[in-house]
Amino acid sequence: MNRVVLAIVGVMMGLVLAAGVLVIVVIVGGDGDGGGGGNGDGGGPATNELRLRGPEPITLDPHLITDASSALYVVEIFGGLLTLDLDLQIQPDLAEDTPTEENGGKVVNDDGTVTYTFRLRNDAQFHDRKPVRAQDVKFSLERAADPATQSLGAGFFLADIVGVTEKLRGEAEEISGVQVIDDLTIEITIDRDLPNFLFKLTYPTAFVVDRQQIERDQNWSRRPNGTGPYRLKEWEFGNRIILEANERYHLGAPHVATVRYRLLGTSITLYEAGDVDVAGVGLDDLERVQDPNDPLNAEYRNGSQLTISYLGFNVNVPPFDDPLVRRAFAMAIDKDEIVNILFQGAIPAANSILMPGLPAYNEDAQAPQFDPEGAMELLQQSRYWGTEVLEDISLAESGAGGSASSALEVILGDWQEHLGIEVIPEQALVSEFFQNVEQGIYQMYLLAWIMDYPAEENLLNLHFDSEAANNYIGYRNPEVDRLLRQALTEQDPETRVALYQQAEKLILDDVPWFPLFFDRFHVLVKPYVKNYHIPQGIVPRLRFVTLEDDQ
Amino acid sequence: MQGLLAYAIRRLLWMPFILFIVSFLTFTITRFGPGDPVTILAGQHRDPVTIERIKQERGLDKPFYVQYGIYMKNLAKGDFGESVTIYRGVDVLEIIWPRILVSLQPGLIALVISFTVGTAVGIFAAMRQGTWVDPFSISSFLLFQSIPVLVSLPFLVLIFVVKLGWLPATGWGGPQVDVGPQDISLGIFSRHIILPAVALSLPGIAGIARLVRATTLSVLGEDYVRTARAKGLPETTVIIRHVTRNSLLPLVTIIGLSLVTLLEGAFFTETILGIPGIGLLGFQAASSQDYDVILALVLILATAFILANIAIDIAYTFIDPRIRYEGRGSR
Repeated sequence: MNRVVLAIVGVMMGLVLAAGVLVIVVIVGGDGDGGGGGNGDGGGPATNELRLRGPEPITLDPHLITDASSALYVVEIFGGLLTLDLDLQIQPDLAEDTPTEENGGKVVNDDGTVTYTFRLRNDAQFHDRKPVRAQDVKFSLERAADPATQSLGAGFFLADIVGVTEKLRGEAEEISGVQVIDDLTIEITIDRDLPNFLFKLTYPTAFVVDRQQIERDQNWSRRPNGTGPYRLKEWEFGNRIILEANERYHLGAPHVATVRYRLLGTSITLYEAGDVDVAGVGLDDLERVQDPNDPLNAEYRNGSQLTISYLGFNVNVPPFDDPLVRRAFAMAIDKDEIVNILFQGAIPAANSILMPGLPAYNEDAQAPQFDPEGAMELLQQSRYWGTEVLEDISLAESGAGGSASSALEVILGDWQEHLGIEVIPEQALVSEFFQNVEQGIYQMYLLAWIMDYPAEENLLNLHFDSEAANNYIGYRNPEVDRLLRQALTEQDPETRVALYQQAEKLILDDVPWFPLFFDRFHVLVKPYVKNYHIPQGIVPRLRFVTLEDDQ
Repeated sequence: MQGLLAYAIRRLLWMPFILFIVSFLTFTITRFGPGDPVTILAGQHRDPVTIERIKQERGLDKPFYVQYGIYMKNLAKGDFGESVTIYRGVDVLEIIWPRILVSLQPGLIALVISFTVGTAVGIFAAMRQGTWVDPFSISSFLLFQSIPVLVSLPFLVLIFVVKLGWLPATGWGGPQVDVGPQDISLGIFSRHIILPAVALSLPGIAGIARLVRATTLSVLGEDYVRTARAKGLPETTVIIRHVTRNSLLPLVTIIGLSLVTLLEGAFFTETILGIPGIGLLGFQAASSQDYDVILALVLILATAFILANIAIDIAYTFIDPRIRYEGRGSR
């Protein structure tokens, strides 16, 4: 009997012990928390605090990121020589001016290389008040291109700079194309005259980091010392990020003192509960907020995004190595039906590859139009008509869970109905999907491209030049190659636009891609939040936001 | 007692071997599964040359057994590796430790709720044996047992968050404490604890109630209960002192099982409610192929299960003197 009691007591002790551990943690931890201004989650919004629902970043080290979730915070915390404004135009950040031939900042050398001279602002500082010097810029670029950093973006965003490739291969200590002239002057030399090169310097890979902090603190990116309009006050993994205004920001201090991000929770639920001031709206809730009778409708806003969703054909694999089959499959898709019924008109159909917001966007561009009879005729003319090849086709998308995305289902239905072909949907997890796309395993796949910067090269040259790294489908058209390569270095903006439009027309006719939609942002913004801009890309924007007092 | 000690030590000695097998299997599954973390990290700029170079830097291009050897060597030094796709470059233990403390909070509360409610319902039903109340009380909780957390949780959210607005929508909060690598929130002191704790405890109640009911009934038929009643003791004294105490014994065995249910449930409650615990972390790690995080989670959970099982086996000997792990042990 005593043993029995002992056992029960033992179990209870176990529970008490575990609870005790928590209590001890409270007591011990309580001491360490002092001075943190630990306002919990209770109560309403603090004064001058913007509350958002944000994604969890993978890291805040600007040189490592390639994902939007991390970039969102990094562009607010850090800065580089140049930045993008709300209209995605290049503006000086740490540099005094954007170098041009007119102001003498850009010089074309005899060997075809181009040297940009950047003069740094003398009032630019890190968050800890250390001034930003040319040496910091050089250190940052070299760190980004150091193989030990393992940056996935440097190879793309910095490779135009002379010497970066050697540095990335571990063959050079320094980047020969980056020269410090004096404390406030730095020269960057690129291998040829690329009219859109400066856009690449606005990407986080080229942002300036604090050398002293990095050398001293292995975990520096969790308490980064940047130069941006906001500084990181707290990042509680999996729960929240708090940004604090940098009062001395050289381009103008932010209006909102604190920005508090929740990293978890359903955005619209939090918004309706009054826990966040802005919420992204998913497709499921779009119909509701677009209804004029819904109270949320007054707070609904949307903006275009530099993103294209497309159907990619593998032009080297039967049956899609026959352009007639590609065209037939494209013409059998009723995009308007998807847009109007599935998306309630909230996401526009794409008729071109280049999206609105790009200089060469062409309203009259014509991707193959919906024409079921024409599609069937083309298919019958194709060399695979009547063969078994047409009976074994699959369409891949990234995802999990076994149920195909709704857009994919409609597309499959269209093909079944108009071409009489049953296409099998295929799903793969992100990494497997990308690997298969790269290795040209899929016959067709649904994918999207998010522009890194608003220049056509970032889409066309990257995907349709026969030598391009992202040309996974092995698309090759000598005329397209010629136009794209000419456009890449064409200095005259008008000629460049014309070249890109010609190239786009050829590509649309070849149908290696069938453009589906241009995505849009859909958000709800509380009425007291003013100047909450929805730019087309990820650019610093929080410092413009103001809050009205009567929350 | 010596026999028991020897038994415990023997069981503990098996542990490294079991963990070795677990780690090998997990390692194999993650490495031979499709995709890899570097490709995921690369996002839309998947330059094959860059990806290959970074895989080399990380040693991911080495043969499988070499990678496993390196992992085990580091593990022996207490180094669980670092996260790649969730928190790039952060030590795995630094990520997991605070999350375990978060997951424990709803877990412990749920354990307490399901045991107290389950016991109460079980004894209550046993006392009312033969009336409609008996099957009704048990079966109403059986209903909860048969509804998975995945289904019951959205309903709870709908009722208590959306319709009634009593509880915070999602997320986690409460007083902050510093647990070394970072701060965690003590949801246990906030309303955030209620939904996950309730959702986690509901499925377990019926099982406990049924067990308690069965043992209570058998205890009620025992001679010493009859004696107690014959002595003229008040009914409450009989129930509390003589019946409850003895009918609760088998519950010890169920605690281990409850742990399993709680952990299974944590994957759902944490993912749906947005609680930064190990359930959510496990989900993220698996879907983004964060090798080292997956391995560390599996190893830590496996260790916990092994230890819990040993503890339960040892507890048996105290409960039931007929069980002896070493026949020649002291008497």
